[in-house]
Amino acid sequence: MLNIKEVHSGYGKLKILRGINLNVPQGGVVALLGGNGTGKSTLLKTISGLVPVMEGSIEFDGQIISGKKPHEIVRSGLVQVTQSKEAYPAMTVEENLMLGAYTRSDSSVVRADLERVYEFFPVLRQRRKVLSGTLSGGEVQMLVIGRGLMAKPKMLMLDEPSAALAPKVVLEIFSNIYKISQTGVTILIVEQNVRMALLLAQYAYIIRDGVIMIEGSAEDLINDPSVKDSFLGGTVANTKKSLNS
Amino acid sequence: MDFDFGSLLAFIIFGVTIGVVYGIVALGISLIYSGLDIVHFAHGEIYMFGAFLGLVLSQQIGIPYPGAMIGAMILAALLGMFIERVFYRRLTRSGGGYTVSGMGMIICGFGMSVALMNVAFLIWGADAEPFPVDFGIEPLEINDISIPPSYLLTAVVSLCLMGILNYFLRYTKIGLAVRAVAHNKDIAFLMGINVPLFISLIFGLACALAAAAGVLVGPMQSVQVEMGYLMLMKAFAAAVVGGFGSLPGALIGGILVGIFENLGAAYISASHKDIYAFLLLILVLMYRPAGLFGIVAKVKA
Repeated sequence: MLNIKEVHSGYGKLKILRGINLNVPQGGVVALLGGNGTGKSTLLKTISGLVPVMEGSIEFDGQIISGKKPHEIVRSGLVQVTQSKEAYPAMTVEENLMLGAYTRSDSSVVRADLERVYEFFPVLRQRRKVLSGTLSGGEVQMLVIGRGLMAKPKMLMLDEPSAALAPKVVLEIFSNIYKISQTGVTILIVEQNVRMALLLAQYAYIIRDGVIMIEGSAEDLINDPSVKDSFLGGTVANTKKSLNS
Repeated sequence: MDFDFGSLLAFIIFGVTIGVVYGIVALGISLIYSGLDIVHFAHGEIYMFGAFLGLVLSQQIGIPYPGAMIGAMILAALLGMFIERVFYRRLTRSGGGYTVSGMGMIICGFGMSVALMNVAFLIWGADAEPFPVDFGIEPLEINDISIPPSYLLTAVVSLCLMGILNYFLRYTKIGLAVRAVAHNKDIAFLMGINVPLFISLIFGLACALAAAAGVLVGPMQSVQVEMGYLMLMKAFAAAVVGGFGSLPGALIGGILVGIFENLGAAYISASHKDIYAFLLLILVLMYRPAGLFGIVAKVKA
């Protein structure tokens, strides 16, 4: 469904991604793993069109989307769920959700989908008139996922849904993502929480310094000792770097 | 001067009236600030253009006053969108996305202000033009001070414009998208909103508001090429006093500035009328830098 071929991209003259190849099959769940500053978010932004592709091509649902504007890519059914801190804090929960359905003109179906999202995340119904800036971390994460669903996506890309959440909440969020994938939505999940992501995904890519280091089926990667080493090696090194700076 | 309650009331009414006009210009400045991340220093000149366009439409072409106001708003919105597309967009784009790094945009705004003023000078000359309008309403008499009908009309029309805008931003889908773009452009893009188009829309909307203010103030004073500068300063003061980005803040900020300067002019010194707005601005910045209704930005890093 999503085909990324030899993509290079970055900000201005600074190149972050250096030849990424990635493939997400229709209906599948694929994980993209990596530590801080490895290029995960840049890759998501490149797919969404927020960061321009320098070389290579991205194909979604049979169409080339590299070079298109972000709002056009959303309209083609590829929706990025932003990080949880990127809800609109000054808007109510319901306004945030309705914004997710901005591209749709079928307003009666949108109402029904809003109900469906509320059934999925009952806490959002309770708090629908509340400004989203006052929600807890887990609730905001549910809100941004719900907002992504409101666009009626063919494929969802999730940007670190476990970030800064308590383990129990992470479990709840991941079980919801699993339920979403069961409804036929293709999923690309970007994570630092390797264990959770590999439980959910069928296939995974590990990115480091803007290139894919390792790829393979989730089962292979769970049992691969070099994955643990390379992954933890990366994050420890990064933590050390950030402590020193 | 003896204290007299009736004239105090009249001064307050004068202040509120001019204040709501400051409010609608302030609202435009505030909208552009949140939508484009720039303080638009040529907004006073858009207001001046609006006043002249209203004058031309109603006096020379003969369109009735309400029609002239709507016409001036549309033309000013088109002028604003043209300026934004042709001049500002390049600058706002170069900063990475639409965020502006550096002074380039501010200087461009000042340059645009001078350029627009001179264009107006070439077309209409430097003389103050009267803008007589017969509203068909009797002046309101309070004690010895009469309040002209243009003042009453101004207050009513300004409040209506604000009400319409509030409804539009709060309860329509397009308004929701405008707020989304104003708050965060990248997320707005990911919601499927055509952000560049909405930035033009926001700019046009702000310019239409400024033009409405120009057409409202025209009959009260007169229309003149240099009228924009002071309006920009007062509206800017109103926006800061009320809190940048807040719609009720812009209105209340405008009214406070209006009352403050009218009372100052009446009871302290009329020749220093323009000082008081800035005195209020300085006081608010000293004690409440985010403005009266401003929300201190909650940024979680």
